[in-house]
Amino acid sequence: MSDKSANTPTKTGYWAKVAQDGNKMGFWFVLPTVLLLVFIVVFPLFMQLYLSVTWWTPLEGTPWYMAWEVFSWGENYWYQLTDPRMWGALWRTVLIMIIAVPAQFFLGMALAYLFIEKFPGRKIFYSIMLTPMMIVPAVVGLMFYLLFQGTGPVNDHLGLPSNFSWLTDVNRAMISVIIADIWQWTPLMFLILLAGMLGVPSDQLLAARLLGGSNWQNFIKIIVPRMKTVILIALVLRAVECFKIFDLVYIMTKGGPGVQTETISVFLYKLTFAELEWAYVAAIGLTILFVLSVIAAKGLSYMVKKDK
Amino acid sequence: MSSIQIRNVTKRFGDFTAVDNLTLDIEEGEFAALLGPSGCGKTTTMNMIAGIEDLTKGSILFDEQELSGTRIQDRNIGFVFQNYAIFTHLSVYKNLSYGLEVKKVDKGEIERRVKAMADRMSITHRLDQPAASLSVNEMQKLAIGRSAIVEPRIFLLDEPLSNLDAGFRAYMRAELKVLQHEFGQTMIYVTHDQIEAMSLADKIAIIDQGKLMQYGTPLDIYNSPDNRFVANFIGSPRMNLIDGELREEKDQLKLMVSGGAEIKLQGQVKSEFASDGKVQSGSFGIRPQDIYFGDQRSDSDIKMHGTVEVLERVGPKRLAYLHVLETMFIAFDDQDRLKVGDKVPFYLPSEKSMAFDLASGRRLGGVAK
Repeated sequence: MSDKSANTPTKTGYWAKVAQDGNKMGFWFVLPTVLLLVFIVVFPLFMQLYLSVTWWTPLEGTPWYMAWEVFSWGENYWYQLTDPRMWGALWRTVLIMIIAVPAQFFLGMALAYLFIEKFPGRKIFYSIMLTPMMIVPAVVGLMFYLLFQGTGPVNDHLGLPSNFSWLTDVNRAMISVIIADIWQWTPLMFLILLAGMLGVPSDQLLAARLLGGSNWQNFIKIIVPRMKTVILIALVLRAVECFKIFDLVYIMTKGGPGVQTETISVFLYKLTFAELEWAYVAAIGLTILFVLSVIAAKGLSYMVKKDK
Repeated sequence: MSSIQIRNVTKRFGDFTAVDNLTLDIEEGEFAALLGPSGCGKTTTMNMIAGIEDLTKGSILFDEQELSGTRIQDRNIGFVFQNYAIFTHLSVYKNLSYGLEVKKVDKGEIERRVKAMADRMSITHRLDQPAASLSVNEMQKLAIGRSAIVEPRIFLLDEPLSNLDAGFRAYMRAELKVLQHEFGQTMIYVTHDQIEAMSLADKIAIIDQGKLMQYGTPLDIYNSPDNRFVANFIGSPRMNLIDGELREEKDQLKLMVSGGAEIKLQGQVKSEFASDGKVQSGSFGIRPQDIYFGDQRSDSDIKMHGTVEVLERVGPKRLAYLHVLETMFIAFDDQDRLKVGDKVPFYLPSEKSMAFDLASGRRLGGVAK
């Protein structure tokens, strides 16, 4: 076909039509992506849904598609509601979220405010400020793992004895993880909030100052209200990210001591790779996906309404 | 209400000198316009008065009090921005009340003053609406009202009329003059529009390339410009400025223009050109409305012969473009008798002509009045 069409001036055949029809061409361009998405999103989702209603585990040697032989109805879903370890992990995840995210927000806001005025060395400080965010979370985990050792620099600087433990203490392990998360993700907050703050028209700020408003009054009455959308986006983004926290925790404490720092992600990881409860993991995973989707959809529609 | 003293103020941005050794005294209750072409340093001057920009050199005083240590917030300056800088996320009411709220004025007092100001600006019906919904004209009123409500010591207006449509601009010009009388406040008005400056201001400061060219009443500046720049800048249509070499031939001082035309200097303008013996090239200035046709009215008036190249109607009058060899004069054809192509004699009245030194631009013979 291609040989023929190369010689004749008016091309015929299916591909010639495609070349002229924007919709058809679009279909062929999009097709590979759609196929890819089917394989990496839709297929695993249904596979997960299928497994979540069985007792299947990889230990017994039956292939996953034969899982219907051990059909369990909604037992997994029921069990997760009464599983204290699941609730504990959920609570700890939320705890990290409600401490770390506001802390990152206030620090980020304060830093952004410092950076709206030009000062010598601003660009250098700006780059330094952003480094934590660019380090691989696993590496940050390792850094803080080393920092918080009994004989590590933290104890050394604070003048604490080497048996004053951070990562293996029931209370301080969680604090250590939260500190590490704040250290790593405040820069992202700073970056988003600075962008938002620079978007506040400078002449309006100037007008507010000329009207006699103090810096604090202008900050609360002009800057913050104008940044509302950006603030919301920054908070949602960090909250969602924080919910998925894994690398830091896994490297610093492995969820320990005991389950003291076990977050949802770490909990699921252990269930999957240590306890091989794949069907149960599938059920929990789907539940979280469902709950988060509902929250995200609600939040988005709220934001869209606000913008109108 | 305050007087403002600007003393030897210089402002540099790197190598660029925006304002160069500027000295200006603005009296209490005066309406002063800073007039000049774009980029002449007038807005920079205004920003320095407001405290937005630091001074490189010199000092600015309010009522003879040094201001350099005073924060923007404490200067109590009413500033109307070119784009108004309305708080678009707040209501009209909140915009007006902002300056009072931050000073923790009593609530009832705020309400009373906001209502009065909204009434004065005739935006009462808009009070509860978001400020972003206002038209440009209403924003302009709101911007002025928002600054006026705090009763500032001085009022600074940065080209406040440039964004308005023509009809409203004329209305607002009159309104501003009324407001200034009502408030009795010292006002400084930045503009590049000479009509605004001429019609509004008590005094005009003409600035070019950061230097003060002349400071005086509108009429003063129009009638006796200190230098060639002011002569050229003020007036519409512009003053005829003929540049040439001064030459003495057979007891007759002449201005030889490149292209061959020559002006035989006589009377007052001749003695002005002659007053400084060192000047070799000069600029001869005459306003279009001072040139006349017909019979010579005075012996000292200078006679010229020219060809009418173009006739242009400007309102009820016609402008005639007269060519004398390669030199062009613009004159008003007040008798409506000229035709294109006519070769006509015309007269340059000596008393109304001005002499400038071409090199320095300065007025020769001292300013007459």
